[in-house]
Amino acid sequence: MLKKRDYKAYIYLLPAFFLMAVFIMYPVISTFITSFKEGYRFLTDSFVRFSFENYTGILEDETFHRALINTTFIAFICVPFSMLTALIVALLLNSIKKLKGLFMTLFYLPQVTNIIAAGMVFALIFNNNFGLMNLFLGLFGVDPVQWISGVGIAASGELYNQSYMRCLFVLFVYSTWSGLSLKVVLFLGGLQNIRKDYYQVARLDGTSRWKTLKRITLPLLSPTTFYVFITAVITAFKAYSSVVALFTSTYGPAGDNTKMMITIVGYIIDSLGSYLTAGAVSTASAAAVILMTIIMILTALQFKVSKRWVHYK
Amino acid sequence: MKAKTLKIPSYMLLILAAFLVLIPFAWMLSTALKTESEALHVPPILFPEMPQFSNFITALSVAPFLNYFFNTIVVAFLVVVLSTVVTVLASFAFSWMEFPGKDVLFFIVLGSMMIPQEMLIITNFMTIAKLGWMNTYQALVLPYGVNAFNIFLLRQTMKQIPTDLFTASRIDGLSFFRFLRKVVLPICKPTVLTTMLLSLIWVWNTYAWPNLITTKDSLRMVSNGLSNAFTTNSGTIQYELQMSAATLVTIPLIILFVFLRRYIFVGIQSGGIKG
Repeated sequence: MLKKRDYKAYIYLLPAFFLMAVFIMYPVISTFITSFKEGYRFLTDSFVRFSFENYTGILEDETFHRALINTTFIAFICVPFSMLTALIVALLLNSIKKLKGLFMTLFYLPQVTNIIAAGMVFALIFNNNFGLMNLFLGLFGVDPVQWISGVGIAASGELYNQSYMRCLFVLFVYSTWSGLSLKVVLFLGGLQNIRKDYYQVARLDGTSRWKTLKRITLPLLSPTTFYVFITAVITAFKAYSSVVALFTSTYGPAGDNTKMMITIVGYIIDSLGSYLTAGAVSTASAAAVILMTIIMILTALQFKVSKRWVHYK
Repeated sequence: MKAKTLKIPSYMLLILAAFLVLIPFAWMLSTALKTESEALHVPPILFPEMPQFSNFITALSVAPFLNYFFNTIVVAFLVVVLSTVVTVLASFAFSWMEFPGKDVLFFIVLGSMMIPQEMLIITNFMTIAKLGWMNTYQALVLPYGVNAFNIFLLRQTMKQIPTDLFTASRIDGLSFFRFLRKVVLPICKPTVLTTMLLSLIWVWNTYAWPNLITTKDSLRMVSNGLSNAFTTNSGTIQYELQMSAATLVTIPLIILFVFLRRYIFVGIQSGGIKG
């Protein structure tokens, strides 16, 4: 390239960096600082003193514990399952030629579906009285299940846990459905990048399909697998709209006042919603810093692990 | 011979999977076309006896949905225009210009991809509130104006343009801007379209941010309108109307996607894997 210095470049970069400075960099710094302000008042921009009060407050807050557990559930139970499903679908897609485009289009539909709309449909499918799920179970003689129900949960811990498990199951089904699209496309892209001659050699050697999958496909696909895992776990940690759509903005079935299904982002937005209360914005900030730390650690960890055992071409 | 016999189970499994994926869409549409008593029938009815297409009209009158659509289209249009200009300029600088601090600045762009949007919401909310921009279009548009992933994606594509083209255009005395317009943009059109589509889908489905900064019904976007008008918090739900509205919100993007899916798939697949 020409050795010239093109100072005009800064003009080209100005719009991007101006917007990034205002809407990304400044917020990161400001959120970090605010998270240490005790009893921060948004209206007067005043606070008591700098302390860890917001963090200790959050770590003792049962609602935040719930948010953490639910988010972890999505990230480490729902994600691996939908990855496995997506991998199988992608392998099947990779083995066919006819109708491949049609299938890919169909499998991608959940991704372009409005999250709120999709959540509402799932809430209706799992409706206790007129939902499709209970109709389906009825075919096998199963009595209607109260999927999203808060009846009696305030008084009975057992009922609460039962209701919670069922809500988790609903979330699990929804997550698998909505998470499939992107993963299928990514896995398929990865599979198509594997050089065909490996397979030709394997066929000449008479290697069984299972062995070919285990020895060639999966190892060569591992960079994709890791990329999918990283992005999916990060997306999972940001879960919010889906939970609102499934369980309304009270984050639980009607009759629940513990915000049973809240997520970390839900916790941030909930705190922010009462921004006129002293300490609400700083609590939200502390939760956001925790979220960001988790995401950064995960990213770093996964990159480190991936360097060790991921097979690079 | 062997390959052929293996394909039938593949197709059967794929059809089963596709069927499962499509169930929610089928249930949405079927419920949207039911009468109120059919929607509330226990046990549920699979298909309505007489499709009630009038439900779509009724749903539009429950909440100012046409207004939500208009807002979403305006915001989506402005975001796509703004972020495309910003993305094209920045990725051009990163791929074809030499200047001090280039690596550092690019590292910042990459780093900002890791920062969750949800972390920014708090300060951006306060910034907007302090500027007195609550319930304005600029508050809905500006924070979406820069997208690090799009810059990254487009830069990758621009870098693949042969250097000869650049040298030739410099010898011809083309300015950077003309080189960008006459040579780079025509070549990168598919990727630019990809970034536009990804921004559009993002805006259409965005929920948390607009929900925070719009309190007036007249400025709501489709996701917020949908969730506001049709959840238990707003009273009893009329499921057939809720599903009609959900269908109306879903269909425009599906149509767009079906026609332009090629660009979306290529964009997603080239974004990630670099061995």
